[in-house]
Amino acid sequence: MRVRLILEPAPDKRPLAPLSWLRCVCLCLASMAMAASCFAAVACAADDEQPAPLSYERHVRPILKTHCFHCHGEGDELAGGLDLRLRRTLVQGGDSGAAVLPGSADQSLLLERMQAGDMPPEEVQIRPSPAELATIRRWIEQGAVTLRPEPERIEGGWYVTEEERQYWAFQPVCRPVAPAVQALDRVRTPIDQFILSRLEQQGLSFSAEADRPTLIRRASLDLLGLLPSPEDVERFVADESDDAYDRLLDRLLASPHYGQRWGRHWLDVAGYADSEGATDEDPPRPDAHKYRDYVIRAFYGDKPFDQFLMEQLAGDELVPRPWNNLRPEDIEKLVATGFLRMAPDGTAAAGADPALARNQVLADTLQIVSSAVLGLTVGCAQCHNHRYDPISQADYFRLRAILEPALDCRNWKAPPARRISLYTDADRQRAAEIEQQAKEIDTERAKKQQEYIERTFEKELAKLPEELREPVRAARNAPPKERTAEQTQLLKEHPSVNVTAGSLYLYDRQAADELKQYADRAAEVRAGKPVEEFVRALTEPVGQTPPDTFIFYRGDHQQPRQRVAPAELDVLRIDPLSELPENDDELPTTGRRLAYARWLTSGRHPLTARVLVNRVWGHHFGRGIVETPGDFGVLGVPPTHPELLDWLADELVRGGWSLKRLHRTIMLSSVYRQASRRTPELDAVDTDNRLYGRMPVRRLEAEVIRDLMLQVAGQLQTRLGGPPVPVMADRVGQFVLGIENLNAGRPGEVIPLGADEFRRSVYVQVRRSRPLSELEAFDAPAMEPNCAQRTTSTVAPQSLLLMNGERVIELSAQFARRVAAEAGSEPEARLRRAWQLACGTPPDAQVVERGLRFLAAQTEYFQQLPAAGDSQEAQAGTLAPDLEALAAFCHALLSSNQFLYVD
Amino acid sequence: MNSDIRRATRRHFLAAQALGMGGLAMSWLLREQSLRAAPTRPELQPRRYDLEAKTPVHPPRATAMISLWMQGGPSHLDLFDPKPELDKLDGQKFPGEVKYDNAAQASAKVMASPWKFQPRGECGMELSELLPHLGRVADEICLIRSMRTGVNNHGQSIRALNSGLVIPGQPALGSWLVYGLGSESRDLPAYVALIDPGQLPVLGVENWQNGYLPSLYQGTVVRPREPRIMNLAPPARFQGPAQREYLALLQELNQRHLAEHPGELDLEARISSFDLAARMQTAAAEALDLSGETAETRQLYGLDIPATADYGTRCLIARRLVERGVRFVQVFTQNQFWDHHGNIRSALPAACQKVDQPSAALVLDLKRRGLLDSTLVHWGGEMGRLPVIQNDAGPAKVGRDHNTYGFSTWLAGGGVRAGYVHGATDEFGHEAVRDVVNHYDYHATLLHLFGLDREGLAYEQNGRQRRLIEGEQGEVVRGILA
Repeated sequence: MRVRLILEPAPDKRPLAPLSWLRCVCLCLASMAMAASCFAAVACAADDEQPAPLSYERHVRPILKTHCFHCHGEGDELAGGLDLRLRRTLVQGGDSGAAVLPGSADQSLLLERMQAGDMPPEEVQIRPSPAELATIRRWIEQGAVTLRPEPERIEGGWYVTEEERQYWAFQPVCRPVAPAVQALDRVRTPIDQFILSRLEQQGLSFSAEADRPTLIRRASLDLLGLLPSPEDVERFVADESDDAYDRLLDRLLASPHYGQRWGRHWLDVAGYADSEGATDEDPPRPDAHKYRDYVIRAFYGDKPFDQFLMEQLAGDELVPRPWNNLRPEDIEKLVATGFLRMAPDGTAAAGADPALARNQVLADTLQIVSSAVLGLTVGCAQCHNHRYDPISQADYFRLRAILEPALDCRNWKAPPARRISLYTDADRQRAAEIEQQAKEIDTERAKKQQEYIERTFEKELAKLPEELREPVRAARNAPPKERTAEQTQLLKEHPSVNVTAGSLYLYDRQAADELKQYADRAAEVRAGKPVEEFVRALTEPVGQTPPDTFIFYRGDHQQPRQRVAPAELDVLRIDPLSELPENDDELPTTGRRLAYARWLTSGRHPLTARVLVNRVWGHHFGRGIVETPGDFGVLGVPPTHPELLDWLADELVRGGWSLKRLHRTIMLSSVYRQASRRTPELDAVDTDNRLYGRMPVRRLEAEVIRDLMLQVAGQLQTRLGGPPVPVMADRVGQFVLGIENLNAGRPGEVIPLGADEFRRSVYVQVRRSRPLSELEAFDAPAMEPNCAQRTTSTVAPQSLLLMNGERVIELSAQFARRVAAEAGSEPEARLRRAWQLACGTPPDAQVVERGLRFLAAQTEYFQQLPAAGDSQEAQAGTLAPDLEALAAFCHALLSSNQFLYVD
Repeated sequence: MNSDIRRATRRHFLAAQALGMGGLAMSWLLREQSLRAAPTRPELQPRRYDLEAKTPVHPPRATAMISLWMQGGPSHLDLFDPKPELDKLDGQKFPGEVKYDNAAQASAKVMASPWKFQPRGECGMELSELLPHLGRVADEICLIRSMRTGVNNHGQSIRALNSGLVIPGQPALGSWLVYGLGSESRDLPAYVALIDPGQLPVLGVENWQNGYLPSLYQGTVVRPREPRIMNLAPPARFQGPAQREYLALLQELNQRHLAEHPGELDLEARISSFDLAARMQTAAAEALDLSGETAETRQLYGLDIPATADYGTRCLIARRLVERGVRFVQVFTQNQFWDHHGNIRSALPAACQKVDQPSAALVLDLKRRGLLDSTLVHWGGEMGRLPVIQNDAGPAKVGRDHNTYGFSTWLAGGGVRAGYVHGATDEFGHEAVRDVVNHYDYHATLLHLFGLDREGLAYEQNGRQRRLIEGEQGEVVRGILA
């Protein structure tokens, strides 16, 4: 039984606390104008400003929970007989007497021990701060009060206070009314009101609108991860119609590149990888790319996000059994469950401890799901109750119970065994027929072969003296094991009669060639079989008793304790939909994941939509409204604009979970269209741009930098989907694109990749142990197990890569060739074209003047430089001096901040 | 103030160098060789960050540091901290309480050290026979036998020692030092991580991350194999004048872009990083080229012996880097190199063989070059081992479990007391009991040696002053100061 102390009517029939009342209102009248008051955090902050007495629940308990509960309340044993979880037991005290004497801080043992540093014991790393001790002191001095009567007893060793339940992120989303603002001329959408209102409180307003070239570059990079062509820019700048920008967004959102760009963001949180990881061997996952393509297709097609999430969490439970002759839409749903197969998986590795490796896969999968969807650090509760958030260890294992029927440690499917064949009955029959035809050819060939062997043998025999022929024939025809010593000797003396299938060609070339034609024909016939494709899916066995889930003592999988049933986190069980079945009789499977997915996507879950819109906002503005997109808990950063977060979450759900609609809503705002320039006024108040008084200047992500270089060099291949472009170690151990071709461990001949080399980065193989060097240098994440938030570094190795990297220099040469082909031989025309391709706008006079001097000087320099080599190949590979100079100019453009950053 | 004027002047000059003025000189050529700015003061507005050498607030004893980071937890009981009591109780039940990390393989059986200790040097410091080379420099080192972090996991204890707090996201020690002191070198990274050819240590790249400090203070990885720093030279045709022209144009474009985006720190940082990259190109190649070292030096570091060649090479590179003004060098062992949960009888001697000679050589070499006085050498890992057996499956298989309650580390040079043993563990070597040096005490002492003020060395993050030592007192360990 769950302890739900606060929501149940109190015995004394006292009225509900004001905040509970508010929450009820929010549930019933979600669209009413409750605005800021919906937020416990906001209400709390307001309370703190008043000299109201401190309370146990709101002020003291969070401190003691962080520092003390582990031993004094929530552990196996009550240290010193002292339970600090209730004010009552604090006053009662433990073995050493009362811990708190209300009104007398100096006589309260609790404070004395904490101030002396005796408690928590000195080996505990995280220490209470002076401010926390002062809070406890004040609370005691003020009489050590509680807000309300405390529970009679704490069942299951765990309870959640009303204050914890009131934490903003656990409240249902409540659509606030956009606040009134002064600068009405800058308001295009409600988003602008939420942002402006805060700016105006600080005496600020929006920055000016960015110019057209900046806007189109920003929007293209945001939505497609590609640059607009110079012609696109010109058209957009010249378009004077009112809806020019709207139409630009429509056009960008309709591009298949949108799916690649935004699919990549989701692949980060899903922890997408083309290899198993977990061990040094890191074997590839041959079918994982189908999941990647599913994600890209879903974004491109604007699959409603609720459906998208549902398919990933429970797609298999949506596909009727038996799984023969799967329809495309069924395959789609099975592929989607690849989401739950993305965790590093060492369970097929030789020498692995199976129980440990399986447990780790479950832990990592839970980590992925919870950070991606819930935005909570649920993993912290694997070994003990969460120190900060109201998430108990039991909560952790109840969530685990949702996954366990499909990820059953006692009935484990190793990676190679979990593939689902996509052969239909027709495919299978067709394959059998074709095999039959091929076998007929095989038989014919075998017959012919024997015939030729016999014929050749007879010819050879005829070459022997008459008297030997019969003994040799007898020896040869005798089965080898039954040959007498003389017979063996005889054959040894006349080796030419040992005609075999393998040696026939030495005697009769023509016969051998004819036989090869048979073999080729058989192979050709077999090649006509339908290709057997596989899906890497997560599925639940049908009709089995689901495995029990136990709480593991201290997270140790070898020490299972109490059994738990599947459930949502206790603090999120705020709705009938949040109740999950142990075994849904309507379904052949347990239905646990399906029920959970339905709850998450119901539009009533407090976190799903908030976490999602926060990520989308973060990708548009470089920082989420909650700066820690993977942690909405107490240790995360509180939202800068909580009302906006809720408004967006509500918009998303109302808009049918359409992300494209959400992009439009955000990008049409004045906030998004601002210029990025810092001003002293803004910097004085808001250096970090938390109020959004301008757009941030952001460095592009690793994949975008690589893709843009390919794009301006005219090399980018836009083919969609399919197996990843392989990554291998080059001669010096750098990871580059290429097909591994090792010869006794050393790199062999280079196998050309062809145009695949120039595919978009989202299609580059994600082999965990082999991150592509040029992506890793620019902070592409390691999937361990996933990435809830990327970081951006600025370090010298990046500059060295841009200056000296072989690929960057090659692409600069390609860029120069393209420019020369498009702009002719005039230096100025070339320079203008190169600049426009990389920067979008025409260069100004200063740039032209400087660039021309550069081209002239470099051309002269390369002219006097001896040629690269005498050989023809070296000559062919070298550009003419004027092109070499142009390539150097292009190189400077590709490594410039103008190219690497977006305004 | 003076430094502000200089910075302003430099800024002005660079602005004048922007497009149209025709200047081509690279900005780094304009810098004075020994320009010294005031110590970083986070309250200065607008915030600007650089790697220019800063004058510490107190006269420093150390100006550079080489940390030989022994990841995994070398067994202090078998290397540094002899315990006759364990010999007496060998194989018997441990009389006290043990804090195990791995309960599954735990045993309460006492394990005496299979190796002998003897007094070394004039100071008579007792060291294990597994460290014969270290014994020869015993009079130069300061052995701390009472280290303690109290967090019994690799990752957390590494964080405690290498970044101050057990939680992730903190700047590494090296990041703090270069943030506070800048670099004495114009052309080498201020902070270098020399990684092992094997797997990266536990926490991987986090070991040299800048955390919440600006990325300028991140450690630069020097790889164990060529190319030691990636992309260190352009193709032949672009070397020399061609690259200089390219860089001049690039930086002019970048300055122009910056002028349109005033105050964007990351843009400035990237401009600096190109300057640094260009300088590194020439300087790093020289610093990493060992061909100029004498045969005697090469032998000293064990470059002629397969077991020591790799680690010796990196110790020698560390010396060359410090010689050239690098502030902080950390030499990493491979993943869990010292984590001897089992097979300690064979694995520990093998590990010692790899690092003992090069580590001692580094101390000797710094000493004879007059660098030891100003260079602090650190040798140690994130933990020690327990006095009891782990994996009681026969003598060949036994090992020792984690122990962060008491372990040993040694320091040398840089203002620490030579030939001195500090602190002690209990009679079994389980917990530090006398003159305990917690990680925060160690950090307080380091900052003191570098002349830095632990309060003053702060960084404002989201309106909060962040420091290396937070939530702890952290006492300077006076006893180990020379």
